Amino acid sequence: MKDYILKFWQGLITIIIGMRVTFRHLFVPAVTIQYPTVKPELPERERNRLYVNMDDCIGCDQCARACPVDCIQIETVKSVPGDDLGVTSNGKKKALWVTKFDIDIAKCCYCQLCVFPCPTDCIYMTDVYEFSEFERENLVYDFVTLTEEEKIEKKKNHEEFMIKKEVEKAAAAKKKAEEEAAKKKENGDQPGEKPPDNKE
Amino acid sequence: MTTYDIIFYLFALVTLLSAFFVVTNRNIVHSAFYLLFTFFGVAGIYVMLGADFVAVVQLIVYVGGILILLLFGVMLTNKITNVDIKSGTIHALPASIVLGLFAGALAAAVLNTKWKIVASPETSSSTVSLGNMLINEYALIFELLGIVLLIALIGAASMARR
Amino acid sequence: MIYDWLHNITGSAIAAAIIQSLLPLFIFILPFALFAVLLERKVSGHMQDRLGPMRVGYHGILQTIADIIKLIQKEDIVAAENDRRFFDLSPILVFAGSYAAFAAIPFSGAFIGSNIDLGIVYIVAVTGLVVAGILMGGWASNNKYSLLGAMRAAAQIISYEIPTLLIVVTVIMITGTMNLFTISEWQTQYFWNWLILGGPVFGTAKILLIPLMVISFLIIFLSTLAEVNRTPFDIPEAESELVSGYHTEYSGMKFAMFFLAEYANMFAVSAIVATLFFGGFQSPIGYLGNVFGVKWLIPIEQFFWFTAKGLFFVFVQMWLRWTLPRFRVDQLMAFCWKYLIPFAFVILILVGLITVLL
Repeated sequence: MKDYILKFWQGLITIIIGMRVTFRHLFVPAVTIQYPTVKPELPERERNRLYVNMDDCIGCDQCARACPVDCIQIETVKSVPGDDLGVTSNGKKKALWVTKFDIDIAKCCYCQLCVFPCPTDCIYMTDVYEFSEFERENLVYDFVTLTEEEKIEKKKNHEEFMIKKEVEKAAAAKKKAEEEAAKKKENGDQPGEKPPDNKE
Repeated sequence: MTTYDIIFYLFALVTLLSAFFVVTNRNIVHSAFYLLFTFFGVAGIYVMLGADFVAVVQLIVYVGGILILLLFGVMLTNKITNVDIKSGTIHALPASIVLGLFAGALAAAVLNTKWKIVASPETSSSTVSLGNMLINEYALIFELLGIVLLIALIGAASMARR
Repeated sequence: MIYDWLHNITGSAIAAAIIQSLLPLFIFILPFALFAVLLERKVSGHMQDRLGPMRVGYHGILQTIADIIKLIQKEDIVAAENDRRFFDLSPILVFAGSYAAFAAIPFSGAFIGSNIDLGIVYIVAVTGLVVAGILMGGWASNNKYSLLGAMRAAAQIISYEIPTLLIVVTVIMITGTMNLFTISEWQTQYFWNWLILGGPVFGTAKILLIPLMVISFLIIFLSTLAEVNRTPFDIPEAESELVSGYHTEYSGMKFAMFFLAEYANMFAVSAIVATLFFGGFQSPIGYLGNVFGVKWLIPIEQFFWFTAKGLFFVFVQMWLRWTLPRFRVDQLMAFCWKYLIPFAFVILILVGLITVLL
């Protein structure tokens, strides 16, 4: 009987204590952040969406090689003499046309390993973290600043330059061969001597 | 036809229709649910007769108690909820003869009784007079009924314990 | 009285009766439900150090209206295996049961739906309709969660009706009437005349009654809380076990009916507790209308006090909801049968002795 009354009494008291706690919490300022209108304060070294400043990119491919999940894909085309590619912000001369710089942010694991090798600090993490998309393809970001025509043009330029170079090389080799042949004639026949290897 | 009549016939209709469904329905749970409306209609008729306390008790005991118990029984009993009640007609001839006789007797009784027709008094609460009667005049019967119910309770408990 | 006034305006008793019977719904329950849903969400939010709805309107005050618009738009889904007839009937029955209780609740000195002598007993009786409606909905849903929820609800409501009725009988013994209007009138004017403080009759009886009345108030508050299936007694719709109990299968407006009935019930039981123990519509500190000699102000003040008391108890219900965890079924039944009912019986006997002897 005593136990019974005691239980009842304890139940009552504990309920009142609990109610006091909840009532106090009624006046505790809410911890809610009104998210889309009020953004939470991010930590200083937060890692979010990658961004590439193409003005500074020299197309060195180091970030792509550092990436553990291979989410960066870079294709480059060599410039031809006379192309003005400009200079990066820390004074490096650019030598490659970047025709493809895709980051598949859906694959990205936000490890920031791509950021450190970059010689020009052009790839870095921004504070943007709201980039959801309806289509997965939209998460592949294309950073290339060149237009399609320009890309084709650069490629053509490079190919033409290569052909030209090849032709020049061939011509140079031919000339050399002719010269050597002429020399040989001058020096008379010397058996066993072979033509230079770099021919062909 | 006054408002009173309309309401009375409404309740009577509810009672009769739902009672009809209770009897004819093949699904036992449906029958139990229709019983709710029967009880409710009866309570309404009690109110129309000025017996408000009886009506409320009807609701408390029958709707709030017995019907719920009935539903529990029906729902919790295994293999009863989906069983069709076989209500086919057998012995049509003798049954209709007996039924006709009984109906005739009832009709005769209804028609031949001299019903007391009193101008309905202004309905007032019957609770006080009912309470007085239960405690004074019919105290013994009241207590005996209480004992009967108590015995039923004890019996049920002892059966459940076994 | 509002009825006489309506009778004068419309010139017809039936029209006046119909209008009067619709008044609580349109001027009270619907706005109250709109307000209470918001209050519930705000109170829950702030008790958990959140903010609650903030988007729709200033601090989310239009949130419930947006919810209702959403509910109206929703498709009324009826599964193929549902028992169509009873499935449709159940929300109506549940709402009718909880709305019928409002007929006997005195909102103010000038407005009570029906001033019947049975008042409080009538309210207990029509609650039975809610139980039947819940069982019907649970069974017609043809869903094990719904059926279990309905079973639990019915068992719980009929069990907790016993302590409620015992305390109601106690109150009836003190006041000598079941009429809620008379009970309210009886606890006149000032707060020391309220029944929780022993009623308006001074003497030894009043002193003796105070502790008993405090305990009976606790008992009836808890048992009515259980009757409306609120936390900590919400095992019929325990979300973590039963999805949402007997209204799992309901959608759209039918669900809204259940919802409305729940909030109407919440206010009904708060109003009953307020009427029985806290003076009903009586002001605790006297009336401005009496001070300034403006008679028509008094019913309005009474309505204000009634609503304030009712809302306070609704708030306490929400408060308890975020304080206590849910009971287990056996604890629920033990609490009713081993604690509430014996205490209620003891109080019944003691109060009977006090009223007879003193």
